[in-house]
Amino acid sequence: MILSMEQVSIRSGEKKIIDNVPFSIDKGEWFALVGQSGSGKSILSRAIGQLLPKNFQVEGKILLNEEDLCSLSPKQMRTIRGQTLSYIFQDYQGTFTPFRTIGQHLEEYQKVHGNLDTRQRKIKSIEALHSVGLDEAFYSSYPFQLSGGQLQRASIAIALLLSPDLLIADEITTALDSVSGHRILELLAKKQKEIGCTILFITHDWRHVRRYADRIAIMKDGVIVESGGKHRILDHPKHAYTKQLIHATPILGKGLLSGLQEVGKE
Amino acid sequence: MSGLSLHLQKLKKFSWSGIAALICLIFILFVVLYTFFHLQHDPNLTNLDERLQGMSLQHPLGTDQLGRDVLTRLLLGAQQTIGYSLLALLAALIIGVPFGLISGYKRGLVDRVFMRIADGFLAFPDTIIAIVLSGLLGPGIGNLVLAIIMVKWVSYARLVRSTVLAESQKEYVLVARTNGLSPIKIIRKHLFPHIIGHVLVLASLDFGKIILLISAFSYIGLGVQPPTPEWGAMLNESRPYFQTRPELMIYSGLAIVVVVLLTNMLGDYLRDHFDVKKEVEQ
Repeated sequence: MILSMEQVSIRSGEKKIIDNVPFSIDKGEWFALVGQSGSGKSILSRAIGQLLPKNFQVEGKILLNEEDLCSLSPKQMRTIRGQTLSYIFQDYQGTFTPFRTIGQHLEEYQKVHGNLDTRQRKIKSIEALHSVGLDEAFYSSYPFQLSGGQLQRASIAIALLLSPDLLIADEITTALDSVSGHRILELLAKKQKEIGCTILFITHDWRHVRRYADRIAIMKDGVIVESGGKHRILDHPKHAYTKQLIHATPILGKGLLSGLQEVGKE
Repeated sequence: MSGLSLHLQKLKKFSWSGIAALICLIFILFVVLYTFFHLQHDPNLTNLDERLQGMSLQHPLGTDQLGRDVLTRLLLGAQQTIGYSLLALLAALIIGVPFGLISGYKRGLVDRVFMRIADGFLAFPDTIIAIVLSGLLGPGIGNLVLAIIMVKWVSYARLVRSTVLAESQKEYVLVARTNGLSPIKIIRKHLFPHIIGHVLVLASLDFGKIILLISAFSYIGLGVQPPTPEWGAMLNESRPYFQTRPELMIYSGLAIVVVVLLTNMLGDYLRDHFDVKKEVEQ
């Protein structure tokens, strides 16, 4: 088990945003967290990296590799961020500091995590760009010179640069068109197979969930209403809200919603 | 400074007034520095036999009421006026910019405390602080510079804070945090280059104001004390001879006007240069 949450509640002042969420993610799986906007998915994901502003209070235990993240000092937390735990966000335009090149970003994050050899850093940065299908020219490009898909590829390169154990992908395809979105996810799936990292995939798009997820959790108003394997959730939903969500998405094609063949049917 | 080079690449239209102002300012600075090493006359040597003389080879701009060489005093006065203005400006920047950076990045209690302190300083007009300080500590250029710093740092702190407040909400700061960067690194590498342009514009516009302030206070006797040459003080000293020798006032008056005008031109140029709207138009 790589990540487990025990009775995690998050409150902002009097208001409870996340209520008593328990869930755990196994090593190497693609775990999808689904829910409509405002259900608290992003807040929960940011709580894992201790990235919430101070006015949010997190209660409970968040265990990453059996280590309680809430009890770590800011300095210990910084060594975990980027190295063991990394993020990709929705807004690809804002992911990069506008006046720094992609290469500068890649190098800086390596330097922070202890790689002090300049030449080695550069080689590794270019390798990382190659591995996401960007050529060497992008190393010295500024963020505004790249397209949306290219930027999102570059942010995947950054997120996977130090082979993290857990990657949190927060609605990474929402701002992209559907073709680029699928390409990005395919790339992510390929990289996951290579590195063996675990992915916490936050989305509200059932198409992506159907295609890539191993396990699914449905979140509504700060509570996880249902969680389980893909086949269980998609084909045999129990909770009314899950059913409602699934029915709200028109899906073309035959067979079960999970894409599996129905038993006993030709 | 990669941010600056980026702006330069984008800027296609050339502003001659800005370049001219810059060249003139550099020339003035060069002349001022040159006087450090080479002086023909002692600026404080009085010679009443040669008082109030007109232009001559010996004294290119004549002599003043005590027979001192006006050109020498004008050049040394530039050292005083420009030098102390730069000192006050730099000190205000050194205090104001970090204050604003920390306040804007940390937010919350730190921000509130810092900004209330700034508001407290802002409550006093600069003239009042300068007069009170020279009343308490005695007139002198040191106290005047102190008064200017006390008033000016606040505007930098506020400017930097408001920029950082907006920028630190953006995703790239969050991404930098998720990749394990410490707050100091984020401020230095990802936020500081953003504010440099704004600060430079305000500083160059402020520079002229500070020169005027120092000259004005020296004129009324609260700044540089005689016999040290300073433009404002020189204006005051030659005031009784305005009817007979008006050029004595005109020289130092013109010097102030020209330098302030040049710094304002430079400020305008920098403002256009860093203006976001203009970038969009291009």
